[in-house]
Formats: sequence, structure tokens, C-alpha cells
Amino acid sequence: MTPRPAVLFLSAMLALAGCTSSTPVTHDPGRVVLPVKQVPVPGRLYATKSRALFRFSGTALTRLRFGSTVKDPAVTPTGDRIAVAQLQDQSSTIVVSDPNGQNRQTLTPVAAAEGSLWAFAPGFDSDGHRIVYLSDRGKRPSSPQNLQPNDLGVWSYDFATGQSRRLVQPFAYTGGDSDPSYRPGVSDQLVYTTYLYGGVPTEAVARMTWMSLRTGATVYLSPDTGRSLEPALSPDGRFVAFIRAGAGSDDLYVMPLAPTYAREPQPYPSESAVLVQSGIIAQPVWSPDGRSIAFLMLTKGSFDLFILPIATDTAVHAAGAAQAVTHGSFLDADSRLAWSP
Amino acid sequence: MPALGSMNHSPATGVPDAPGSHRVRWIVVGAIALVLALIAGVAIYLSPVLALLEPHEPSRGRVAGVPAATPPPLDSKQRINILLLGSDNDQKFRQDALLSQTMIVVSIDPSTHQVTMLSLPRDLWVDIPGHTSAKIDLAFAQGGAPLARATVEKAFKIPIHYYAWVGLNGLVRVIDRVGGVDLDVLHPVLDDNYPNDFSDSGYGTERVYLAAGPQHLDGRHALQYVRSRHGDLLSDFGRSVRQQQLLLALQQRAAGMDLITALPTFARDLNGHVKTDLDLVRLTQLALFMRNLHPADVHQTYISPYVRDAISADGQQILLADWTAVHAYLRQLFGGDLLP
Repeated sequence: MTPRPAVLFLSAMLALAGCTSSTPVTHDPGRVVLPVKQVPVPGRLYATKSRALFRFSGTALTRLRFGSTVKDPAVTPTGDRIAVAQLQDQSSTIVVSDPNGQNRQTLTPVAAAEGSLWAFAPGFDSDGHRIVYLSDRGKRPSSPQNLQPNDLGVWSYDFATGQSRRLVQPFAYTGGDSDPSYRPGVSDQLVYTTYLYGGVPTEAVARMTWMSLRTGATVYLSPDTGRSLEPALSPDGRFVAFIRAGAGSDDLYVMPLAPTYAREPQPYPSESAVLVQSGIIAQPVWSPDGRSIAFLMLTKGSFDLFILPIATDTAVHAAGAAQAVTHGSFLDADSRLAWSP
Repeated sequence: MPALGSMNHSPATGVPDAPGSHRVRWIVVGAIALVLALIAGVAIYLSPVLALLEPHEPSRGRVAGVPAATPPPLDSKQRINILLLGSDNDQKFRQDALLSQTMIVVSIDPSTHQVTMLSLPRDLWVDIPGHTSAKIDLAFAQGGAPLARATVEKAFKIPIHYYAWVGLNGLVRVIDRVGGVDLDVLHPVLDDNYPNDFSDSGYGTERVYLAAGPQHLDGRHALQYVRSRHGDLLSDFGRSVRQQQLLLALQQRAAGMDLITALPTFARDLNGHVKTDLDLVRLTQLALFMRNLHPADVHQTYISPYVRDAISADGQQILLADWTAVHAYLRQLFGGDLLP
């Protein structure tokens, strides 16, 4: 203890008394909370909280009974089927069902010769015939004595044949690729996030990547430094919204896409339009009519659902302020959003 | 003493006291009772906090021949350096011989309102005072916080004024107590051989997956994020980056908390999982300082550019430092605040 205990003790008490927060952090209420003035959601918007699936439609909120924990919902463009990653004990599979969670079909195995498997982030193509997803299938068996990389690659599942095949081999020891989506309006293009390392000193880099399924060619759409992630394609396939990680913030950007790419665009168009800045934003998704983008934003310690009106007339830009659909709801920010008519 | 409420007389004169003096006596007695109740209340309130801050392991003056850094006075604007230590402390380790999996020097400069976090790689080969050369994480196992502190002071010439040690369970509890942390996970984390410390034997493994990007993590998943290294090309350096990221997230989370009501529960949770030689006053002072800290005021630093992989004589994979370059770098960071 210090030489003048009484004085210091009193100082400590006074100081502690000053520790009452003026902007208290919100605590998880354990349910989805809608604000007093509700924001109607056009169509059907899907999100997860604590690995349970919720559907927002108009001012109605419905919890869908999947009977297990799920993440990464995806819907067909018509909304007639929904896909999720269904989580089990240290593995996950892709499951497809009707929009109410009924008539389920499991598409991917829980385990294979190489061990238990992960499968995440399903995404339908424009006609609902294929699903693109992430998996660590094809990895080498690993043990503490013989460590092997187990990174996520991009795979596709064809409903007609019931077969899966790997589309992208990830860089080893990066965690792999993320956020795959078929490009709407064309049948042979993918956009996803590639994780790798670069820079001096070496650091994690995330690059948006375009891929031709016809030739297998890949082209980076963002620079080799920093992190551009979670690309979300507009319903007409002309724009991509994405998250750009900056110093202490994750901002929402949007940029146009060329019809096709033969080489990396120079300069990178990835900073063409910032929609929301100085926030912590995750999981953007376009509305089916392309006139809004929904996303999750950190507000007082809680990730909540927001909708931002978008105009794509002369140049793509925000057409108004973002409106909060939920309030203090702690939605899962590591799980994708999905939006159907 | 006469019963309160009875007719009182002055012992000198036998004349009944005036009504005003009754009031004064009541006020005095009431004030004394209030002060006593306040002291008792504060003592009860703070007892778990004070228990936590007891000098479980005096960290000064045990290692001969090593300069012991004296903490600057409370009202000083001098730099304060704290050595943060983190260990696996599950049942597969002897509790008095834990390796320090994490070593971070947190340097607080009150004059500029800046904080620097410097991660020390656990495989760094150093001279451990009184022992042979070894990986730096062995210092804590061989001599606890005093030897870890002396080793850092000798190798890096950074005066260490305080230390704080936290075990795995302690970290999980801290994070859960503040309601989790909000982190931007830098890349997907996949680890098929993550140590499951909470299994019966302590030797089990489990599969871990964390998606990349901004998200909210509870204690268990935050621990997985900062501890996994099998799926990270940068291995221990990558882990150091993630550990500093978690410290920043914790600071920001705690800044939004009502500490005055949370502190006793917090301290009760952490008893046995945290050790520190910080006293209550300094801890409070630092808590207030950190509370008003902007993320831009915190600088994350590493010595990775100044070390190289090597194999020790006994076959261990180690890191060797270019000490001239390391000290030059530290002089840039800390100016004249280094030990001679």
C-alpha cells in the first residue's frame, strides 16, 4: 500500500464514483427487438440471432423453426427455397428447404474420409439450379502431431446431378475464401473474397475476386493491401456493395462491375462510392428491386439491422438515411443476410 | 451516556440543554453513524476488489543484479509500463510452472495521452537472469512474474513498473463479464486441432471455425480467436496481432460500462484467475485513463521485422533478435525512457 492510505483511498473512491458510464453498453435482451416506430421491410428479409433464423416481412417478425442452429441464410431470386448452413457439433452442412423451413434436403456430408467437414455461406444461382458454398472438403487429415492446413475453398452443388465440385483452391494457412456469390444475370461468373497475406510487415489481406466459371480465370477487384470483404451483388449484377476495413471502422462501399474482366482493373474502382462511413458494418445485401441495401451495424454494442435507400440513376449513391429495423437486438454479424420478394 | 430522546442536563450546571444543542448532538451522532455506515459499505463493496489486488506475488527486488523499476508517482506525467502475461493454466500444467503464452508490454504515456502495445514473441531466445538462455516464455515458468519482468527489463531495457497475469479461464470470464467483445476478425479462423482446455484431461482437441469480418464474440470464442495458430501462416506473430486487437476491443467495451456497479462482481469472478501488483489507486487511475482513450491513441507494435527463425543447440525452433535493431526501434518508441 502507498504511504498515505487514507488520502489515496478517498481518491480512489472519488475516482470510482466517476466511472459511471454516460453511454452504457446495451445488453443482449435474448430476443429480437423492434423499435417503437417500426420500419416496414419490403419482401422477406432473413437474418439470424443466436443461430436461430428470423424473417422480417412488412412489420411482421417470424422465427422459423429449423430445429437446430443455423447461419448464413440464402434465398432463390423468387424466394421459393431457402438454404442455410446447419451447425452440428464441430461440423456443418448445407440444408435447403421451402421458405418456412419445411421439406428439408441436406446437400453436403457431415464427414468424409478426411474427417469432419465444415460447409457455410450457400448462395443460389439466378435460376436456382446450383448452389455455391464454402467447404474444407478435400483437406488432408490433420492431427496435433501432423498438422495440415484446413482452409475453406469455394464449391458448387448441382441440383440436377446431386454432385459437388471444387471451384477455387484456397491459399494454405489463410483460413481460405469467403462470401461466394453467383453473379446475377449471367451463368458463368462468381464473386468472392480471397484471404491471403501481404505488405510489410506482413498482414492479413482480403481481396474481392471475380472468377469466370467458363475459363477458370480469376481477377482481383480490390488492391493487394487492406481488406475489402463481404461482396454483395445487385440483383441486376451491375454493382457490388462491400465492406472496406479502415482504421477502426468497417465502411460500406459500392462499385460498378464491368461485364467481364481480362485483367485487374487499374485503378481499382473499389473506392468509387462510400455509402456509410465511420461505422462498424457487416453483411450487406441488396433488396430484390435493387433500390435498398440492408446491413448490420454496431450500435451501442449491438449489431442491428438497417436499410439504406439506394439510387443508381447517374451514379450509384445513398438516396436517404439508413433506418433501423431492429434495436439492441444483437443479431449475428458473422451470418449473412438474405432478401427475397 | 444518557438514553437518546430523554431529557438531557448539562453535567456542569444541571441546567437542561437548550433545544438547539439537542439538534447539534443529533446531527453529530447522525453524521458519525453515516460515516461509519459509509465506510462499512465501501469496505464490503470493495472487499472482493482488494482481495484481487493483494500482492499475490511480489514482483520487485527478487532477482539480483537487475534494475528494479520504481513506479512513477501518481501525479507524475512519466510513462508507466505494465507487463501483461497470459498463460494456459488448465489441469495439464503445474500451476506453479506455467509458461507465458502471451507477453505484451503496455506502455502508457500520460503526457501525450498515448498508449503503445508491444508484443514479445514467446519463442524469442533471451538471457534469463540467473538461468541459461532460453525461450522468453520460460522465464515466467521458472520464476513467476519477478523473473519474467527481470528478463524483459534486461533484454529490452524497458522498465517494467507493474505486471498483470491472467489465465485462460480468467480471460473468458473477463470477456463474458463485460458482455463479450466486438471484433473485426481479420481472416477466417479454422483449426482442426485447437486445444480443448476445458475437456477432462486438458489434452483434447476440438474443431474451431470463426468467419472473417466484424462480429460479436463471447469469452470462449474470443479466446479461440486469440489463441488459435495452426491455421495462420503468421503463426505466433499472427496471434500477437489478434491478441492486441482483443485488448483494444476490451478497452472499448469497458469504456461503455458502469464500472462502479460492475467492479465487485467482476473482481469476485476473477479471484484466482488474475494476479497483479497494481494497487487500487493506480488501477483506478489507469481505468479512468483508459476509459477516455480513443482507438487512434493506441499504437500496436511488434518486433517481427527484427527477428529471424533459428534452431537452438538443443533442437528447439526459436526466434533470434537483432538486438541492436530492436533497441534502436524501442528508442524510437520510448525515447529516453529506456533503462541504460
